[in-house]
Amino acid sequence: MTHPVLEAQLDAYLDGELTADDARELEAHLVQCPDCARFRDGRIALRAAITAHVPALQAPDALRERVRASLRVAGGARSRRRIAAPVLWRSLALAASLAVVAVGSWRLALQRAAGGALTDQVLASHVRSLMPGHLTDVVSADQHTVKPWFNGKLDFSPPVYDFAGRGFPLIGGRLDYVSGRAVAALIYGRRQHLINVFLWPAAQGPAGGPPAVTRQGYHLLHWTTPEYAYWVVSDLGIAELRDFAALLARGDSAAATPARSAPAPP
Amino acid sequence: MEPNELERFEAIVLPHMDAAYTLARYLTRNDHDAQDVVQEAYLRALKYFDGFRGAAGGESRSWLLAIVRNTAYTWRHQHRADTLATQFDEELHSETVAHVHPETVLLGETARASLRHAIDGLPREFREVIVLRELEGLSYKEISDVAGVPVGTVMSRLARARKRLQEALRPERQER
Repeated sequence: MTHPVLEAQLDAYLDGELTADDARELEAHLVQCPDCARFRDGRIALRAAITAHVPALQAPDALRERVRASLRVAGGARSRRRIAAPVLWRSLALAASLAVVAVGSWRLALQRAAGGALTDQVLASHVRSLMPGHLTDVVSADQHTVKPWFNGKLDFSPPVYDFAGRGFPLIGGRLDYVSGRAVAALIYGRRQHLINVFLWPAAQGPAGGPPAVTRQGYHLLHWTTPEYAYWVVSDLGIAELRDFAALLARGDSAAATPARSAPAPP
Repeated sequence: MEPNELERFEAIVLPHMDAAYTLARYLTRNDHDAQDVVQEAYLRALKYFDGFRGAAGGESRSWLLAIVRNTAYTWRHQHRADTLATQFDEELHSETVAHVHPETVLLGETARASLRHAIDGLPREFREVIVLRELEGLSYKEISDVAGVPVGTVMSRLARARKRLQEALRPERQER
């Protein structure tokens, strides 16, 4: 055998890819061929150097979190679509014989699917807002700056409060989209945590969703007032987030009184 | 996707994230792109998971690494003009590219630095077989599956890559 062929065999031998018979033959040759033995020693030295100096890497924790979060969002959206479709077909089949019952369950199923998809969308908006440069369109701790900023950008004027005195300072506002509708996003802070408040007119936007749900470490709270549908999302502790939601709900009900323009102090 | 299908995906595929990151890191040669590639690859993997029915750990790892590899190449195509994205030539001798990582400078270990530089400086077709074999421990067959080339090509690329790395380790010694 020529040496180039033997070198290929030697690599396969050192990589554990040679059959036992070929390996025995090669070992016999190595004993009496200094060139091949030198070649083998060079490869062994290289492997030792790689093992010592070029370790396999560990995925950063931040990446793990990112991947997990994006999988949940993507997987959640997929499962909603898949579940919604068969329910629809089954319901249509049933409708032939049991029209009333079928339509009822069909509506319910669609509402449920819509609520779940809405949760996904709100969460996706929150996660997206945390990426660099996406959090705020208008940065201001002053509600009288943030509120007018939405003029002309939305078909409603969202109530904006500053809860700095209660430890939830206003950070700014952002135009966002949920279910194809332009919505107001208000950003509040709590220590190093961020809170996104999404709101839109209750009568004119996507509806549904659980009042409280936790996904990937984020808490989502949802409620509807006569005027607005609210979603609050944060990685803040659930107890503190509920405190914040209570402040917000109180502020809104105060604003719903005749003295509408006056922002309600908490 | 069944509600617990995502859990099944996570249980089977998430454990390979270190391997995915290692490959992406060596293919993109920077941490930021590597992270983006891994995230994108996982989303693609989720999309194709219905078609994947392998159960063994090695199978799912090769499967994921093939997606990481393809994602890294399309990523490079879409996001940056790479200096080494020129037409690949099996015989081409490319110079070692000076990608100096801060930690290698601080350590000042010449063997480590020169070996890492040498790997980063390999054409990507050589780099991927070295990483898959030496760092990930894949078999020739698995590498052939991941890289989409015959086992014979895997072997010749490995041999050339190793030869070049050995030269980098011993710059004072000329090639015989």
